[in-house]
Amino acid sequence: MLATLDRRALLRAALVFLIAAVGITAILSMGGAAEAATAETEAVTTTATSGGTNLLVQNLFNGIVFGLLLALASVGLSLIYGTTGLSNFAHGEMVTFGAMITYFLATPQEVSFPLLPFSFSVNWPFWLAAPVGIAIATFFGWVQDKIIWSQLRRRRVAMVQQMIVSIGLSLALVNFIQWWMGGRPVRLVTSIDPRKQYGPISVGNVTLISMAIAIIAIIGVAFFLQRTRLGRATRAVSDNPALASASGIKVNSIIRIVWMMAAGLAALGGILLALYQQGIGFDDGTKLLMMMFAAVTLGGLGHPYGALVGSLIIGVVAEVSTVWLPPDLKFATALGILIIVLLVRPQGILGKAERVG
Amino acid sequence: MDIIFDVLRTAIAPSTAAFALAAIGLNFHFGLTGLLNMGQAGFMLLGMYGFAISIQQGWPIWIAVIVGLIAAAIFAVLLGWPTLKLRGDYLAIVTIAAAEMVRFLGRSQSLKDLTGASSGIRGSDYKAPFEELSPFPDSIVTLGPFSMHGSRSSSWWLTTVTWVLVLLCAGLFWRLANSPWGRVLKGIREDEDAVRSLGKNVYSYKMQALIIGGVIGALGGITWALGNSVQPDSMGRPTTFWLWTLLLLGGAATVFGPLLGSILFWSSLTLVKSLASAFIPSDVLAPTELEPFSLVLVGVTLMLLVVFRPQGVLGNKKELAF
Repeated sequence: MLATLDRRALLRAALVFLIAAVGITAILSMGGAAEAATAETEAVTTTATSGGTNLLVQNLFNGIVFGLLLALASVGLSLIYGTTGLSNFAHGEMVTFGAMITYFLATPQEVSFPLLPFSFSVNWPFWLAAPVGIAIATFFGWVQDKIIWSQLRRRRVAMVQQMIVSIGLSLALVNFIQWWMGGRPVRLVTSIDPRKQYGPISVGNVTLISMAIAIIAIIGVAFFLQRTRLGRATRAVSDNPALASASGIKVNSIIRIVWMMAAGLAALGGILLALYQQGIGFDDGTKLLMMMFAAVTLGGLGHPYGALVGSLIIGVVAEVSTVWLPPDLKFATALGILIIVLLVRPQGILGKAERVG
Repeated sequence: MDIIFDVLRTAIAPSTAAFALAAIGLNFHFGLTGLLNMGQAGFMLLGMYGFAISIQQGWPIWIAVIVGLIAAAIFAVLLGWPTLKLRGDYLAIVTIAAAEMVRFLGRSQSLKDLTGASSGIRGSDYKAPFEELSPFPDSIVTLGPFSMHGSRSSSWWLTTVTWVLVLLCAGLFWRLANSPWGRVLKGIREDEDAVRSLGKNVYSYKMQALIIGGVIGALGGITWALGNSVQPDSMGRPTTFWLWTLLLLGGAATVFGPLLGSILFWSSLTLVKSLASAFIPSDVLAPTELEPFSLVLVGVTLMLLVVFRPQGVLGNKKELAF
């Protein structure tokens, strides 16, 4: 029974993919046939000469960097889903918020609060501003759970309603950030990170340090979940809240810790992302949200390590696809993967097979 | 006084009607069937593209409209085919992702010849055939406090056509919601398994609802495009969220909910903006900050609505999918 179902789902997935591929190819060839042709020949010649493999390796590397940063953000999303069942659409704003608050503390320019007519300049050094920014974001996670989500849980508001509340929160936050920080992207540091050549890969020092920090943070989360009492309690809540509660775990305080952790990790991800892409705009986190959902769903909703695996895959696919596809379609490619995954294996790579329909 | 006229003008504007149309489509999805379609803007955008590109190819207007609607129907089939069997929040994620994909494809440089990439398609490139059909004079017509062009762009002609369409679609919703077919959809919204056990093909019913709602959404997109221009970024995720807000504001699963919601939503947005620009000094709230400020209010409204009055103004709490 299961086998036939799977085969049917696979067939359906393949067909949808085929139709989409044929459609896109047809439109592409219709749209800019001449341009596409020249671009293709160019690509072929570069591949033939030398750049081909280098380009691929470089993109692969970029993908891993992007994937690691994405993982920082999506681990929190996955933990929240695991412990509360909420698909938090406001998680992208947590990413932007962390980076923006760091900018607010670090920039030598005049900053102000919305609706308050005075402006001032904090101008802290970056190494101080970033941890304080993460701390503020973590506190924001606590506040959010305290005044919104724990109240909704207490009122037993249905999950779908909570999801729409998170959508409203996302809309409010992203516009608040735009109102506060303006529409233009901001840079956290003004210095330019010179790229160095390591074999086929060219990368700057800041990016390397960011990668190291991201890896350390992810290992830290893994250690927390596997080895500490709180982490075990978190996994227990994620597995079965009622049973966890019955065995003496304070479910609500665990959920609050998860919210704080998720907010802090997202802020760290946002700061590193702003360093990596040299600037962050008010809606960058919102754009990233779909990537996070793709990653989390791909890895298995609610599964913290699934988010890591999913993020790396999404990051690599998005970056490597730019070798063949136009770069402005790289997010579309990643979203396409999300849809195909849902067709074939809705529970994700690491997720348990369960009824999802 | 000016503020009141501004608000009234917004209330009858064709784009308000276009949003009411799209919300009626969403009402078929969410209000009637309980489907969490978070990509209604994608349906609107597809309708717009289908219509504008067909006109650019020199096809007659009725074929262009049909192309736009068929594009949305195909999109609905492709979307619904794999996801209608999954749990609600999966459908939400997939529809939002698919709508974003449509937008990314539309603004991609590789399709520039067809879609005009991120700058979109100018209104003057496709509005002419519709404007030529206008029986109204080709000049500014003033009717009481309202002054609009007779047939160009956001005109009396477009206003008439869009509101007639809104009424027709509301009538369609009323007929269908009270038909045996509509009762099955409501059953699916309340308890899918119960309907399945009665021998109904739940999947096929959901698909039909998705297609009908999507096609009406595309119609909303076309009428919106006739008053503005085809712009991929104007049909992003915020548009879908506005649609949800105004549907929940008016009342989901009601005939006039989307209509009332759209009028209330856009009028109060105009009211807030004009009051803010009139009474808050510009050094506290600069004119450029008005837009994000009002959207913060929309977001907060959506949150409060869903928690405290999910049935909206007209709705009935028992008729909700939550």
